[in-house]
Amino acid sequence: MTSDPVRRLRVLAAGLHAGMYAEEHLPLPYERVWPVAADLRDELPHLVPFLREFRVPPGDADRKEALAVGRSGLTEAFEVRLSPGWCLMQSRLVVGGMAAVPEAGGTRFAVLGATRPAALRPAQWLYGRLLGERRGRAFVRRVAERAALR
Amino acid sequence: MCGQGEDASRAEPWETAAALVRAAQGGDALAMDELLVLVSPYVTRLCRPIAPHDAADAVQESLLAVFKGLRGLRDPVAFYAWVRTVTVREAVRVARRTGAEEPADPAGLARLGGLRADADGDLPADVRDVLARLPVRHRAVLVLRELEGLDEAAVADLLGVSQGTVKSRLHRARSSFRKAWSR
Repeated sequence: MTSDPVRRLRVLAAGLHAGMYAEEHLPLPYERVWPVAADLRDELPHLVPFLREFRVPPGDADRKEALAVGRSGLTEAFEVRLSPGWCLMQSRLVVGGMAAVPEAGGTRFAVLGATRPAALRPAQWLYGRLLGERRGRAFVRRVAERAALR
Repeated sequence: MCGQGEDASRAEPWETAAALVRAAQGGDALAMDELLVLVSPYVTRLCRPIAPHDAADAVQESLLAVFKGLRGLRDPVAFYAWVRTVTVREAVRVARRTGAEEPADPAGLARLGGLRADADGDLPADVRDVLARLPVRHRAVLVLRELEGLDEAAVADLLGVSQGTVKSRLHRARSSFRKAWSR
């Protein structure tokens, strides 16, 4: 099971009662899609609307510390786990995840977003139902657009 | 926040799991992911003999049920026992959904020596083949009794049936299994 990152992310979304989770088949090869997701420093600010900068050390270590800088200038430290087809990021407040596997000549891509503090959970549940899937689908669409540009 | 799994080589598996369960229940996604990686092989081992034709689906359904229900688990040390309960329930449900049972291949059956797991706790492929021919309820009883080493009372409790039912299913399962491999 854990050899399929998308299935793994689906389980985490269930466990975290994630407000945002979406997965879609993209008609683009995995070799073109995953590099977009894995290039956190250059691509993540294009994929997350409120993110200005994502400072992450170069290199292919699977565990990294990163700093997210929002459009408002607020910063948030993240722990990042990155491996082929798999990315999980966590700060004090939020969790983000992406996963991809080759599928029928294209790519199955999944994205997860969740809030951490217990106090935010009821809001996450409410807004998740209204917006989560749509925001998730928009994220996946942006990944496809960025991959098509490569 | 995370990294509880780094002590895995020294700690007992249930202690490692308990620390990760507590962190995951508090919303730590990295701990939850470590727990998922830790428990997946165990869930796979349970699912394969019970739902041999749909093992991947049974594993996924079991893990979804486990992690959806994780917050409700009161005693983190009892994680593995609880995972077993949830997994067997889900594996039986998935196996019954398709209910695929095919006749055994006599040549394959002749090679079997019994219900023995290898060092990794996995069953040899030919033993799994024979198990696949048994009805789902017999498979579940055999796996819990022989592989997991539960007593009849615990098996009855887990499957939600009487001890008498477990006894008779076990008897029939062992006898079909014996017949299958001695043919």
